[in-house]
Formats: sequence, C-alpha cells, structure tokens
Amino acid sequence: METTRKIDTASSGVRKWPVAAAAAAAIVMALVPLAVTDAFTLQVLLLAIMFGALGACWNLVGGFLGRISFGHSVFVGVGGYTTLLLLHHLKLTPLLGIPLGGLISAALAWLVGGPTLRLSGHYFAMATIALLQIGLLLLINWEWAGGAVGLEAPIGDAAWMLLFRSKVPYYWIAVGLAFLTFCATFFLVHSKTGFYWRAINGDEEASRSLGVPADRYKMLAFVASAGMTGVWGGFFAMYVGFIDPESMFNLTMSVQVVLVTILGGVGTLVGPWLGAAVLLPLSEGTRVLWGSSGMGLDLLVFGLAILLVTLFLPGGLVTLRRRRGSAGR
Amino acid sequence: MFEALSAGLFNGLIYAAVAVGLALIWGITDVINFAHGEFLMLGMYAAYWLYTLGHIDPTLSAPLVAVALAFVGFLTYALIIRRLQRGPAMAVILATFGLGLVLRQVAFIAFSPDYRSLPDTLVSGSVTVAGISLGRPQVVTGLIALVVVAALFVLVYRTRWGHALQAVAEDRKVAALVGISPDRVNAQVWMLGSAAVGLAGALLTTFFYVFPSVGTVFGLLAFVAVCMGGFGSLPGAFIAGILIGIIEAMTGYFVAPAMKTVSVFILFILVLWYRPRGLFGRW
Amino acid sequence: MKMKLIAGVAASLALMAAVPAQAQEKAVRIGAIYPLSGALASTGSEIKAAVELAVDIINNPHPELEGIPLAAGSGLPALGGAKIEVVFGDSQGKPEVGLADAQRLIDQEKVVALTGAYQSAVTKTASRIAEQRGIPYVNGESSSPDLTERGYKWFFRTSPNDDTFVENMMQFLDGVKAVPTAKIAVVYENTDFGVNTYKAVEKFAKQYKREVVANIAYSAGSASVTAEVQKLAAAKPDVAIFASYTSDAMLFVRTMRESKYAPPVLLANDAGFIDSRFVQEVGPQVQGVLTRDVWGNDVAAAKAGLKKINDMYKAKTGKDLNGNNARSMQGVLVLADAINRAGSTDPESIRKALVATDLGEAQVAMPWAGVQFDAKGQNTQGSGLILELKGASYQTVWPEKYRTDKSLPTLPFAWK
Repeated sequence: METTRKIDTASSGVRKWPVAAAAAAAIVMALVPLAVTDAFTLQVLLLAIMFGALGACWNLVGGFLGRISFGHSVFVGVGGYTTLLLLHHLKLTPLLGIPLGGLISAALAWLVGGPTLRLSGHYFAMATIALLQIGLLLLINWEWAGGAVGLEAPIGDAAWMLLFRSKVPYYWIAVGLAFLTFCATFFLVHSKTGFYWRAINGDEEASRSLGVPADRYKMLAFVASAGMTGVWGGFFAMYVGFIDPESMFNLTMSVQVVLVTILGGVGTLVGPWLGAAVLLPLSEGTRVLWGSSGMGLDLLVFGLAILLVTLFLPGGLVTLRRRRGSAGR
Repeated sequence: MFEALSAGLFNGLIYAAVAVGLALIWGITDVINFAHGEFLMLGMYAAYWLYTLGHIDPTLSAPLVAVALAFVGFLTYALIIRRLQRGPAMAVILATFGLGLVLRQVAFIAFSPDYRSLPDTLVSGSVTVAGISLGRPQVVTGLIALVVVAALFVLVYRTRWGHALQAVAEDRKVAALVGISPDRVNAQVWMLGSAAVGLAGALLTTFFYVFPSVGTVFGLLAFVAVCMGGFGSLPGAFIAGILIGIIEAMTGYFVAPAMKTVSVFILFILVLWYRPRGLFGRW
Repeated sequence: MKMKLIAGVAASLALMAAVPAQAQEKAVRIGAIYPLSGALASTGSEIKAAVELAVDIINNPHPELEGIPLAAGSGLPALGGAKIEVVFGDSQGKPEVGLADAQRLIDQEKVVALTGAYQSAVTKTASRIAEQRGIPYVNGESSSPDLTERGYKWFFRTSPNDDTFVENMMQFLDGVKAVPTAKIAVVYENTDFGVNTYKAVEKFAKQYKREVVANIAYSAGSASVTAEVQKLAAAKPDVAIFASYTSDAMLFVRTMRESKYAPPVLLANDAGFIDSRFVQEVGPQVQGVLTRDVWGNDVAAAKAGLKKINDMYKAKTGKDLNGNNARSMQGVLVLADAINRAGSTDPESIRKALVATDLGEAQVAMPWAGVQFDAKGQNTQGSGLILELKGASYQTVWPEKYRTDKSLPTLPFAWK
C-alpha cells in the first residue's frame, strides 16, 4: 500500500510564486468594482472567473488525469439545488448550504465513481453525459424540488444568508472562491497526488505495475473535482437567484467548461483561467453587439472563433508562450 | 401494448439510421464528430428545398442528398480534421463543436428559425396492420434504414475495402506499412458516414419538421446509440438504436411518457457499468 | 507572442466594453428582452415586430386609432413629445442570459423600464433584477401564475394568467352540448408553461365538476411522441388539452393523425398552436382544433381600431397578429401610457402611475374589459377567447358576444 514515505520530489522544489501571483491577481480583480460600476461588465467578469474556476476543477479529471468529462454540470446542479433546497425548506444559510452542496456532489461522485472510472476515454465521456441527463430529467419530474418550474431564492438584504440587493458582494465572493480554487488545484497538482495523476494519465497499466494505487487516486481526482464544482454550483444558484433543471443541469454549460479549458490549454494550471478570460467576454460581447438583431450573428462569430483557434492554436492559448521556446511551465 | 412496441421498434430503426453514420466515422477515424447532428440538419434542409423548389420527393432525392452530404463530409475532413489529427485529441473535439455551431447559425441566418414541414409526400399516411396504425413515413424510413445498415455491414466487414478500413482503425501506422493510405481511407470514411446521415436526414423530412437546431434533437440519442453499441461496431450501433426506441416506448407505456428518456440513460449507464466497452465494442 | 496574447485578451474585453450607450436626446428608453435566437426565435421575432409596431403607434400620429392613448399624437405629450425608444435584448431563451440582459439594459443602456420576456423562467430572473433595482417591469405575455405571487412591488402583468385562461376553458366547455366534456386529459411539456397549465386544469376541473383522466407530461423537443399519443388514446378522454410550443404541436398533430386517433375535443392552451408557422404548415390537416387565445382576427375585424392595427402589422411582416405578439404590443402601450401619466422618467413615479392605471375597453387594443392592476400587479380586466381553426385562420367561438360564425364550434373533432 503506502510504499514509501512522502515522495517529496515535487513539493520540495515547488515554487510558491504562482500562488503569490494568483493572490495579486485576486486583489486586482477585487478592486475592479471600485472603478467599474456597471453590473453587466461585472457579470461578464464574474462569469469569466466562474468558468475559469469550473475549468480548473474540471481539469483535475480532464487535464491531469486525462479523462474528458462532458457532464460536469451535473455537479453544478447538485450543488446548486442542495443549497437552494436547504435555504427554501430549512431556512439554512448558504454559508453552510454551499459547502454542503459541495459535499453532496462529492458524495455523488464517490457513489458513481467506482464503475464509471473503469471506463476508458470515449465511454467515460458519454457516461458523464448520461449522468447529467439523468440528473436533469429526474429533477424536472421532482415536484418537491420545484420540478420544471424551478426554485427562487427570496430577495433580501441579509449578508449571513448571502442575499444581497446588489451583485457586487457576489463578485467579491467569486474572486475569493476563485483564489481558493486555484490554490487547491495548485497544491494538489504539485503534491504526490498530482504526481500519481500524471503517471496514471501517461500509462495506467505501467503506473499500476509500479505500485501506484490507481483506483484510489482516480477516485480522489473525481471526488475533489466534483466537490469543488458543487461549491461553485451553490454559489451560482445564489447569484442568479433562480434555478430550474434546464439552467442547472445544462449540457451547454458543461461543454463550455470543456471548451474553456481546451482553449486555454488542457492539463495546465493557468489554461482554464486564460481560456475563460478570452471566451467569456467574446461570447457576451458578440451577443450584445449582434444578438439583438435576432440573426444569431453572435453565435456564428463565436463558432468561427472556436474553429479558428483550434485550427491555428491546437494546444490552446497557453502554447502562445511556449512557441517562443520558453521552457517554463 | 403491441402498438407501443411496434412504434418503438420503428422509432429505434430511425435512431439507428442516424447513428450508423456516426458509428462509422467514430469507429474508424476515432473522431467524435460533434457536428453530426448538424450534418443531419443539412441533409434535411437539402431534401426540403429539393422538394419545395424542385418537386422531388424526399424518398427519391435521398440518394442525391447523400451524395451532397458526402461532399460536406469530405470538405470537413480535408479542411479541418486532417490538420488536427496530429495535434492534441481535444483540439478535434473543439473543432467539430465549433463547426456544428457555425453550421447551425448559418442555417439560422439563411433559412430563418421557422419550422418547416413537408405537406404530403409519396409516403404520407398511415399503415395499418392487425389493427395497429403507424405512420407510413416512419415504416418506410425504418425499412430503408435496415437496408442501408445491411449494405454498410457488408461493405465494411465483407469486402477488401472494408478490411482496409478496419486495418486503419486498428493501427494506422501498420496499415500504412502494408500500403493502405490512412489519409485516403479516412477521407472515404468521412464521405461514407456523412452520406449515411444525409440519407437519414432526407428520409426524416417525410415525417419530422426541419429547423436549424433539429440536429440536437436526434444527435444526443445517436451518440448514446453508438456508445452503447460499442465503438467500432456497426451492428452494435444499430442494435443499440433499436433498443433505445423500444425502451422509450415500453417506459412510456408502462410507466409514464415523462420517464421515457431518463430510462434510456439509466439503461445506458447500467450497460456501461457492466460492460465497459459497450454491448459489442472492440476497443 | 506574449503581446499577441495580451492583445487578444484586451481586444475581447474591449469588444464587450465597446457597446456604446447611445446618447440620443429626448428619447425615453425601454428595455425589451425576448428570445431572438434559439428554439423560440420565430415567436421572438414576431413579438419584436409587434413591439416595434407599438412604438410606431406611440411615436407617430395615428388619429385613425381613436381611443388608444398616445396614438393620436407624436411621442409622449407630458414629456415634451419625447419619443419612446425600445432597446432589445436577446435572451436566447435562457434565464441567466435574461438576467444579464436586464442588468445591461438598466446599467449601460439606461432604460427606465423593462418589458418581456415571453418565457416565464426568463421573466422570473429578469424581473428579479428589476425588483432589486427598483425599475418598473411590465410583462405583457407570460402566463405563469407564480409571477404575481412573489410579493413584488415593481412587477406588473397586463396579460391574464393561466388561472384565468383555464377557467375560460371550463366556462367554454360548460356551454358545449354536442359532445360530453366530463373527462379531461392534459398533454403538456415538462416546463414551467406546461406544468402551470396542468396545475390550473387540475384546480378548475374539480371546481367545474370534471375529471382529469390522464396527466401526460413530455419533454419538449422530443424526437418522437408516439408513446404520449398512445397513452392519450388509451385514456379515452372527452377533451384533450394541450400545452405545447410550435414544434411539438406540429409533431403531435402528425403523430395523432398517423395513429388515426382524434380526441373528440382538441383544445390547446395557446402557444404553439397559434403560431403562424403552425397554422401555415399543418393548418389544413387540423381543421376544427380549438385553442384559448387572447386575440382573434375576427374580433379585430369587428373593432375598427383593432383592424387597422392588424393591417399595419400585416403590412410590416406579412402575417396577422396573434395572441402572443398582440399582448406584447399591448404591454408596451400600457407602459408608455403610464410613463406619460407619470410625467417623468423617475422610476417611482412610473410605478405609481402603473398602480393607478385604469384603462377602459375602448382604450385597449385587445378584446378586454380594460387594464387595472390589483395589489399583486395582475391585470384583473383581461380575459381569454376560445377560437376554432377554420380555413386559414382562427375564428372566435367563445365568449358568445364575439362569436360571428354561428356554425362553430364543429364537434366532435376529426382529421381532414
């Protein structure tokens, strides 16, 4: 089982500066609302941050472990519904509800992870979609959870219930959560866990033969990813204030999380954030500029942009730096 | 109950018809074509316009549409897929997704979001057998689908050319070593798979409405069928498609129509959990 | 290379920030959020045209539309003739996009009020923003009863809701003597719209001494509805009530026809069944279908003003007005009237003016008794019509006072 003492090859040489850089970025982002007051821009920034974080969580399974999950929104949905249902029926504050949402998502991952993680590549991807669709369809038919009509959070001014009239406090929470997400992914990847993940990703058979407890670490990636995604789901539910199965168990959102990460550079720490920083403003910007004509030009531009980036930058935006020959990572 | 069963059977044949083209492309070239639903949509529009402007019945124009879609498939391969096959696997996924979005939006702009349907075609009406009434278009489409799948099966598993396809699917490098050009084979597979879905689309217009997002309606079920049947297995995709149709119908009849689709997904997950390579998957 | 990356990110952010807040003098701006793309785009674009028609009526002199407030003159007299300008937002049919649009319209486009969004789910999130910010929101066409059950102060709905509509259906059925109407089956899409229709039918069926024999929910946008139709046929209802949008409506018609099943009374709750595309594509096959609506072209033809409005819409789009878009138009007219009575663009004044709205039958462009909001923001003077499809358009069969063709309704329903 535990064959050695802590393999410290990774953590001893770990540079701590990315964490400091992330902290600095977080502080800069947190100061933005002082300069920018219009709620729409803030929403775009918040969505970019959220998708970056969702991508980072997804990356644990998709990038580092190498299993593409297209159904990650199921954890968003579980987290979101847990939070709002607890608020609705038990008047439980989201400060507790959101972490609980994350826990329930993690539990779900743990329950289905066993058989699902045995699946390889394409099968795994499709199985995650199936999980998402099952979640969606069950929630639609579940009256107690609001069914197709959905659930609304009350409007109010109660900080301890995370109900604010303005959207700015949500923005700050998002920044804070994002920083925590980054740190979590950073430390996980640079620890023995990340080391094992990369081994499993490289060649599962070989790593098993070398004593890597593959099943346990695959499950860890899946559960951690699910839990963190669930927390964000809870946050998103409070931010929008209204949830219904369609918006919470949303295949398009799931695919967008994958897109953002692949665009930025899958399997890198910075990739998802970069991808989100470009894709979200692009998507919202084109919608605002051209969406109201009703011609769907915005989505067309979006699709073309995706096509072009993949054709000319297949490794993701992160490779822009690498092409200069810099060996840094 | 037999009414439900037979309706489910023919629905299943239709899903299988849509899935078979995808199974071919996915199985042999190992590319998930996220634009598959949009290829179907293009086929449907082609048949629609051929009927509305050219007065050619979809059942007759289907081969024409198949050829047209083969061309689309070829273009897709040559311009997009080929460039990306050397790169990260994910890039291809992204690219086909972007392509699907572009195609859908172009259709939206060119044809407007209005739902269109064909009034009366050669095969309109009902077929009544033993007191059970089914739509004639569905029956005809289902039967043609059967023929097409059988033809593809013979092509892929019983001809020399088919063996070349399988060789490339198993191992590109080795196939190249024995003189089979993977590039050429891939292009041909894309053309064939796209032709298949084009045919399915043309037949679909005899009983389903056409609009830019119609691809998403059938697309997901096609993906499930291919996966459940097992990658690399054409008969698997076919059988899975029929299975989906039957499960849908039986759940709708015995439980509730609202539970139709969720039972398909539950079955799908259970199949994968107990047979991690699908029902007949080879790899 | 790095510069390229930074430039790319900056460009994307700039793209989004570059949306200019147009500065136009003397224009009162209203935000309108509708599904201009996605599955409901065809309805959304028709509504957009209807809203633009309302703007035209307000901004340009239309003395021929007597009685309608603001039609006679140009712009809003109490604000110095200021014109109304509507800024559209595409909700793409999604609640979170509606949310984003509401914020954008309020913050960047500086609208003084909002309207929209057709789908109840999108209306919920968009009006939530309006409520949080203290901006008036006039909803013209969403029928989910919960919208006015939230205790909101800034939300007003001119359209009647599903409770009223379903009660209208029951009242109509009471008057049907040609066939029995005791057993009702409800076929509805598993969304807010469908579920609310079902709940209302459940409630009023009991009240009106009818029985619900089948509760058939289905997923919108399905590839096939044979299972649903078979279930419906097996239940042998007297009346089949449908809550479906256009695509499913067309599919149901087709499937029922092929299965050779015809419910004796086929009654739709609006939505897809009144969509012009539905009428055009499958109309000839489904002659005799009944639907609840709020607008009837024959009613319009009877009232001179309404006929002219329909003609203007037809000139613009080539189609007749229907219940979906006529209501949206009416919502904007009511909103503009309130802004005018408020005499200012201050939100609180507009809100008070909305609360005080009291329009009579002659002053609304709908076959309603008028517009007057109750404490929850619901217009109590609206009501629905029951129409039957005859030929290329729908004719009114209920209430009695609007029925011109005495041979209707033609029951039982059968396929042509």
